[in-house]
Amino acid sequence: MTIAFKPEETFRGDYSYRNSDAAILRFPFPFPEDKYMYSVNIEPHTRSGPSDIFLRPFDVDEHYIAECRDRAITLERDPGRYQALPHMMLAQWDTLELLMENLSADYPALFSLTKEGDDFGSRWTWINRPLGIEQSFIFGDADTLPCEPFEYITRQAQGDFAICDQRDDNLYMDAGMVTAQADWSLEFDVGMSFMEWHGPVPLAHQAGVFERALKYLLMLRLGQPVRRLNWTMSINPRLDTSPETYPEWGPDRASVTPDNAGDKVHLRVELQTLWRLPRSNAILFPIRCYLASLDDLARVPKWGKRLNRVLSTLPPQLVEYKGLTRYLPAALEWLAKHDDGAELPVGTEAGVTTLTPRVSD
Amino acid sequence: MMHSDITSRPTYRALEPDLAGSKHLLVIEGETLLTGRLEALTDTFAPVNDKLHTWLVGAPTASSGPGKVWHLEKLVDVLDLFACATRDYGMGDRLYVQGTEPFLWSVTTAASIIGFGPNQVQLHHAGSLRRRVWCTHCHTLTENVTASIVPCAGCGRHLLVRDHFSRRLGAFMGVMIDAEAPGAIPAIEEAFA
Repeated sequence: MTIAFKPEETFRGDYSYRNSDAAILRFPFPFPEDKYMYSVNIEPHTRSGPSDIFLRPFDVDEHYIAECRDRAITLERDPGRYQALPHMMLAQWDTLELLMENLSADYPALFSLTKEGDDFGSRWTWINRPLGIEQSFIFGDADTLPCEPFEYITRQAQGDFAICDQRDDNLYMDAGMVTAQADWSLEFDVGMSFMEWHGPVPLAHQAGVFERALKYLLMLRLGQPVRRLNWTMSINPRLDTSPETYPEWGPDRASVTPDNAGDKVHLRVELQTLWRLPRSNAILFPIRCYLASLDDLARVPKWGKRLNRVLSTLPPQLVEYKGLTRYLPAALEWLAKHDDGAELPVGTEAGVTTLTPRVSD
Repeated sequence: MMHSDITSRPTYRALEPDLAGSKHLLVIEGETLLTGRLEALTDTFAPVNDKLHTWLVGAPTASSGPGKVWHLEKLVDVLDLFACATRDYGMGDRLYVQGTEPFLWSVTTAASIIGFGPNQVQLHHAGSLRRRVWCTHCHTLTENVTASIVPCAGCGRHLLVRDHFSRRLGAFMGVMIDAEAPGAIPAIEEAFA
């Protein structure tokens, strides 16, 4: 397996991010039916699923190098996007180990990990070929790395990461690397309990979703990770849609017209996985973000039609919460042209192996 | 107190002495003392009166109250006393606080540093609904906010004051109201008087 990286693409400024046809076909489209509502949609994170992205626990794709660079830019501007409370050091090492072991096993051409032993005090050597990194360090000794272990490894990974400490039958968000978030602030939320950091989500609390989810997560077992998909929309392929930088990207929401919606409006899907960590008993919560424009998605006829139906029947509270209010009419006008009303099979699979030509071609 | 569907919004309670406690500390923001309140608290705390200290913060110095009463001038004096008190409090001790929300959380945070856990602390909200607001964009805290939209004390942006609350910061989240349409600022209401 070779991945053709696109090291020059950008997630800001000129927004040169583009998906290849293969990337579109493996997009984790999140809507199995024509309507959407919150549910406890958690399932085992096995090496299988309706898209290729599920084949490996930590998916690496053509955007890897560019995403790592975008993270570095965001951290340079705002170091507070990385936070780890002092009691989280054990969980930091757990996370580094989990990522290094999985990446090197699943992508041996890209990453390698050589260990002189499994325990703290052993010398490890990590090689990251796409980013040109070779690092020898003592596992368990933070002074032998250029920065804290959690920061070190998540600077070399796609997606955001939170680590939740488990105590008093609750989960506390006590560490995070968060540079590609859908409008939530790590600086504000760090240290919060599970119910607190989900506080602003509408409708789901009343449906008991979070109580059930928390109960489930407290029982999460080592070696049995779970996953769910979450979604929102973004204008332009921008990873850093944080509240911190909202003054920069907020105005883009007013720039959408029925003519440019296909290019500008992106479906933002998060593969959220949850992992019990072995030494700390904390839970690692990676949030891996995939972006596809309406134009990309409409090249899979089933997806274009279904997205039109989901968005046109979305409860008003969710439209507001997800920040779609200002541009949803323009996006729907664009999508309606790609929906002939035909009945669609249940399921998220693309149902095709080649794409229809781009609308803009 | 205001009700909110947002679950990070704390809820507050009436103060009641926990008879299992060994030492008891009652901290009251003076401006929230209505006539008769100290007398009512004296009755409520009578069962622990001999193990109780009361810190009255910014209250008229003539006022007496439950337990042994100390007069402090300002909130910052409370925080200083906690900072100096590393040895004198333990797991069996109980803290009761009455005041506005910024007062409650400043005291709670200072107390937590010397080991007061959530189960040792009771919070009673009284007086003004004014809020401390944390700017999501420049991270400055703006104090004494009573309006639904407020200019940030740091960056000057107009912030919509949300109900999302951080105990760590003792503050509500403020988000730029006119980021999507610069200059379009809705009518400002006196929401937290």
